[in-house]
Amino acid sequence: MSDDILSIIEKVCTRVAAGDFENRVPKLGDDPQAEATRQAINRVLDVTDAFVRESGAALTAAADGRFHRQFLPRGMRGAYAHSAVTINRAADAMRVKVEEIEHAKAARFDLAGELESAVQSVSEQLATAATEMGATANGLSQFARDAVADAERGLGSVGALRDSSDQIRKAVSLITQIASQTRLLALNATIEAARAGEAGRGFSVVANEVKTLATETASSSESITNQVSTVQDSAKGAIRVLESVTESIRQMSELVDGIASAVDGNREPGQPGLSQLAEVLRAEVTRFVAKVRAD
Amino acid sequence: MRAARIQPTGVERSFEDHEIIVTKTDLKGIITYANDVFLRLSAFGEEEVIGKPHNIIRHPDMPRAVFKLLWDTLGQGEEIFAYVVNMAGDGAAYWVLAHVTPSRDASGRVIGYHSSRRRPDRPAVDAVKRLYARLREEERRNDLNASWQLLQDELAGRGQTYEEFVWDLTLGATR
Repeated sequence: MSDDILSIIEKVCTRVAAGDFENRVPKLGDDPQAEATRQAINRVLDVTDAFVRESGAALTAAADGRFHRQFLPRGMRGAYAHSAVTINRAADAMRVKVEEIEHAKAARFDLAGELESAVQSVSEQLATAATEMGATANGLSQFARDAVADAERGLGSVGALRDSSDQIRKAVSLITQIASQTRLLALNATIEAARAGEAGRGFSVVANEVKTLATETASSSESITNQVSTVQDSAKGAIRVLESVTESIRQMSELVDGIASAVDGNREPGQPGLSQLAEVLRAEVTRFVAKVRAD
Repeated sequence: MRAARIQPTGVERSFEDHEIIVTKTDLKGIITYANDVFLRLSAFGEEEVIGKPHNIIRHPDMPRAVFKLLWDTLGQGEEIFAYVVNMAGDGAAYWVLAHVTPSRDASGRVIGYHSSRRRPDRPAVDAVKRLYARLREEERRNDLNASWQLLQDELAGRGQTYEEFVWDLTLGATR
C-alpha cells in the first residue's frame, strides 16, 4: 500500500479517534487490497458510530422514562451485541425501579386520601359534638341560674314565714297576758258575787265560767307558742338546706361554664375551642395531603 | 447512469441479521457516505449515489406522510425509528428498520443526518405494509394532508405515537 493511502487512513482514524464520526475512508484507487482495507475500516467505523448513537439514545430514553425505546442488538456482533444487551438490562432495571417508585407513590396517595377522609369525618363529628355540647352547656347554665333564683325565692318565703311566726308569738304573748288578767278579774268577780249572797249566785256561775275560759285560753296559747317554736326551728333548717343547695348549684354553674368555654373557646385568645381545633386539624391535614400529592 | 425512471419489479431482497446499512447525508439530504451493504442492496455503484439526493432509493409504495414525519422529527433534533421500503437501482425492493439521527459537530450544531438500517422481521413488515398501503391510497385519492390526518387518526386509535407503534412491532416481532 502506498504511503499516500496510509496517510489518508491515518488522517481518518485520527479524526474518528477524536470523536468525529463523520469521517470515513474514501475510495483509494483500484487496488483490491486497498479497497478491502478501506471497507474493513469503514465497517469498524459504521458499527462503532451506530453503537455510540444507539447507546446514548437508549440511555437518554431510559432516563426520560421511555423504556420501550431499547438498544436493538440486531446488526451488532460480539462485544457490541453484548454491551447492547447489558445496556438494555440496565434500562430494564431502571424501569423496574421506576415502577416500584410509582407503586409506592400510588400507595402514599391512597394513604393520604384515607387520612384525609378519616380526619374529615372526625372533624365533622367533633364539630357536631362541640355544637351539641355547647348547646347543652348553655342550657345547663340557664337551668342553674333559674334554680339559684328559685332557691333564693324559697329563702325569701321561709324568711317571711319566720317573720310571721315572730308576730304570731307576740300576738300569743298578748293573748296570754289578757287571759291572765281575765282570770284575775273573774276571781275578783267570784269574791264579789259571794259577798252579794243569794243575789250574786247567778253572777258567780258566770265568773267561774270566765275563769275556766281564761285558763283554757292560757293553755292554748302555750300550745301555740310551742308550735310556733317548732315552725321557727323548721324554717331555720330549711334556710340552711336552701343555702347549701344554692351554693352547690353555683359551683355546678361554674363547672358548666368551664365546659362551655372549652367547647366554644371564646373565653381567652389563644385558647381555641373544640370546633376551632377540629377546623385547624382539618386544615393542617388538607395542607399535608396536598403536599404529599404534589411531591 | 440508468434510465431516469426506474420501475419497481416486484423482486424483494433482504440482508443479514448482523449487517447494517449505513448512509450519511448533509442537511439537504444529499448522500455523503454509503457503506458496502447499502451499495449491495441498492444495486448502485458508489459513484452513482455520492452527491445524489437520498430519495433516489425512494419506493413508490412509501407514503409521503411517513417522510414528513421523519423530516419533522429530525428537524426537532430528535432521532426516529421508521419502517421503510426502499427501491434499488434495478427496481427491486428491500424493507429496512431505519434509525435516523442528526449528526452534530463539537458545538452541538446539526451538520447532517446518519441512518443505520437493520433487517426487519416479516410480521412487522406485513403490518406496516397494510398501514402504508392505506396511506398511499389516501395520497392518491386526496393529498398529503389527508394521508397525514389518516396516520394521526390511525395512531390515535391505537393510543400510540409512531415511535411506540414502531417499537411495539419491533419488540413484538423479535421477542
